Amino acid sequence: MAFLDYLFSNFSEILDLLIEHIKLTSLSVLIAIIIGVPIGILICYIKKIGRPVLAFANIMQAIPSMALLGFTIPFLGIGTIPAILMVVLYSLLPIIKNTYTGIANINPQMIEAATGIGLTKWQILTKVQIPLALPVIMSGIRISAVSAVGLMTLAAFCGAGGLGYLVYAGIRSINNYQILSGAIPACLLALFIDYVLGIIENLVTPKYNKDKTKKGFFKREKTQKAILIIVGILLIVLLIFPMFFQEKNDREITIGSMDFTEQEILSYMIKDLIEDRTDIKVNQKLSLGSSSIVLSAIKENDIDLYIDYTGTIYGSVLKKDPNSNINEVYQISKKELKETYDLNILNDLNFSNTYTLAVTKETAQKYNLRTISDLSIVSKELIFSPTLVFMERTDCWLGLQKAYPIAFKDVIALDGAPRYLALMNKESDVIDAYSTDGLLKKYDLVVLEDDKNFFLPYQAIPIVNNRILEEFPEIIPLLEELSNYLNDNIMRELNYLVDEERIEPKEVAQNFLIQNNLITKETI
Amino acid sequence: MIKFINVSKTFGNKKILDNINLEIEKNKITCLIGESGCGKTTLLKMINRLNDPTSGIITINGKNILKEDPIKLRRNIGYVIQQTGLFPHMTIEENIEIIPRIEKAPQKVMEKKTLELMDMIDLNPNEYLKRYPSELSGGQQQRIGIARAFATDPNIILMDEPFSALDPVTRLSLQDELIKIQNKHKKTIVFVTHDMDEAIKLADKIAILESGHIIQYDTPEMILKAPANNYVKEFVGTKRIWSSPELIKVEDIMIAHPVTCTPEYSIFYCLNKMRMMKVDTLMVVNEENVLLGILYASNLTGITDYDKKAKDFIEKDFLATHPQDSIIDLVGLINEQKITTMPVIDKKGKLKGLITRSTLLTYMSKQFLKDGEK
Repeated sequence: MAFLDYLFSNFSEILDLLIEHIKLTSLSVLIAIIIGVPIGILICYIKKIGRPVLAFANIMQAIPSMALLGFTIPFLGIGTIPAILMVVLYSLLPIIKNTYTGIANINPQMIEAATGIGLTKWQILTKVQIPLALPVIMSGIRISAVSAVGLMTLAAFCGAGGLGYLVYAGIRSINNYQILSGAIPACLLALFIDYVLGIIENLVTPKYNKDKTKKGFFKREKTQKAILIIVGILLIVLLIFPMFFQEKNDREITIGSMDFTEQEILSYMIKDLIEDRTDIKVNQKLSLGSSSIVLSAIKENDIDLYIDYTGTIYGSVLKKDPNSNINEVYQISKKELKETYDLNILNDLNFSNTYTLAVTKETAQKYNLRTISDLSIVSKELIFSPTLVFMERTDCWLGLQKAYPIAFKDVIALDGAPRYLALMNKESDVIDAYSTDGLLKKYDLVVLEDDKNFFLPYQAIPIVNNRILEEFPEIIPLLEELSNYLNDNIMRELNYLVDEERIEPKEVAQNFLIQNNLITKETI
Repeated sequence: MIKFINVSKTFGNKKILDNINLEIEKNKITCLIGESGCGKTTLLKMINRLNDPTSGIITINGKNILKEDPIKLRRNIGYVIQQTGLFPHMTIEENIEIIPRIEKAPQKVMEKKTLELMDMIDLNPNEYLKRYPSELSGGQQQRIGIARAFATDPNIILMDEPFSALDPVTRLSLQDELIKIQNKHKKTIVFVTHDMDEAIKLADKIAILESGHIIQYDTPEMILKAPANNYVKEFVGTKRIWSSPELIKVEDIMIAHPVTCTPEYSIFYCLNKMRMMKVDTLMVVNEENVLLGILYASNLTGITDYDKKAKDFIEKDFLATHPQDSIIDLVGLINEQKITTMPVIDKKGKLKGLITRSTLLTYMSKQFLKDGEK
């Protein structure tokens, strides 16, 4: 029942994401058809290229989809294009293969008969080969479309939206209802697409091997055609209609965010604040992924603003050696980011989200742990579950091992919130954490003190492109105003509200702004 | 009509056709026959340029087809193959009208033509036009195949073993149908088959192929009676002729040089000749070899005056047969008249030979004996 409540209270968001998902999926499959069918036909005629083409399509399918998505982002930026490209590449194989098989399996005698009575190659293709291969081609399209619905959930990683957003947001905040509210519509959508394409497959199958005596309302051809027409009209309305209303607003900016709770709350805060106080319209690209993805997005001008942390810029972007001087890190980051990428760091938001290591209370008591130095001594007996990002950064795990004599029994990298679950299930003993992480409060964990000052300072800083400075300078004082109301504790409290109390980030952000009189009215 | 001049075809190293020279006659059915792999289908497909010769020239009405647009050429040549030739995703109507539709023939003309064709192949248009090929029997499908070949009203129709997948009864009825159609429409039909019975039944001319060569090109009759070599003899089969007995002529079985005498011979001489030649009849002819009558030994019994002439005893009222009469006519005649001996004369009455009951018996008994037992 609680799930139904969740569904109803978030109905419009789920519906929006569903429509977005349908748009993305149908567009991808359409492109895959437009590319795949001609290629399938082509390799029937030019046998030489058949093997390489099929091999290429096979490899495309074998590449992990996340990796493919990751590869494309530096070239194509974030948003719908890399997501569509990924799904198109994945959908090609079944379409090419089935087109090829469908045409290649036609009895060669029939083709000779067609040639013999005087059809041209083109007429043979259009009048004989394609109609005969159509049922096979359609079943390839059907396979592609159904798997595309599932794959498209990954689109959320590069800010394209869709139902995947709910799934990943749910995983991150350990909110099963949110996961289900994304997964169930995706599943139903897949079944529905399978059904609709099944109808098309049935209609294009030549009558000769069809049982004409089919009875029942949904089995009748007329009904099936009617269903198709309705679905077709709906799709056109979904895809074409928004184009007329999508007038490009000059007073419009896009803000991005990484894929954790704090970032999402901040994104809503900034959006609401700007929209309440100015005439600027703010688009959000939520949960784009790690810092590097969001940074590449702002470099491509896919987004205009996002919140990053000084340590990340200093350590992993500018590749500087560890430095615990807060001011120095900020100044150097600001200067060099401008020089290297022509991006601007504004004043900090008055809170830090530093890396830290955390253990359960139990573990802390058992080994008498207070600092990371204490942990180093007993580390041989413990299992460490850091995030993937933590593992690969010199200012994190790689440097940490140099700064402290630390060597764990085992290191199992996990992403996001599942780390906390692993910790609570005693599958691991130590995790990395962000100092503002609400889950620290939720699970009542002990944060170990960085007694050698290894971790970089991670002050939250807005990063904006020149467009903001030039066209929307009024945003800057708003962000400074906001920072007056933030600090580490408040941020952890807000994160806790989302991660533990299951309040939506949007609502948490709004409530915060209203309580502090930053905005005057609700913007719902 | 269709002429192959020094046509050869090689696939890789294999010579499929070797220097073929063949002229296919207009408005006749020509059968190409041979064992599988002999090149008969390759030869057929050269006519509508599904295969082009490696060397040599093919002309239709004197025009070199290798210089013509193959699409245009094919649309003016009907093409019938086994069932697979119909397109399963098209209705019968669409199948028949496929080329006229592509050539944008007026709807009315097309409809009329289709109805005519359905009438020609004896299928009810109302019942069948909207059906799909798989809903028809094999024989009906093949009739549709023939109708499609006639749809553009071509002068030439190529048929590549069109009936070979059908059951024997259907095959026979379709063969009859084809003969009927041909009698009415008079097309130049080139028909590939491996069935000698089919070829003999349908063909005006038969070309027998063996490993890329035409070893005999002749009428069915001549192929049966005068096989060019042992291969043809084997292929045709020595007993084959008995399935077409109308092709066995009197001249094929008659005794070519019967024992004769002139009317002026004496009885003594005649009896003596009969004894020596071991016959009981003499054919009485004049100087021009015109048959005047028959002298039977039975008519001479009890005669004492041996100086009497043959002309005094000849039977002038006799039945005769002609060289071109078939064995069927002959057997009927002999049975009816209960006669044992029958002279064979030509139109001018000249004696050509003689048929007796025993020659008939000897000949007919051949079919029950193997070649070596004669």
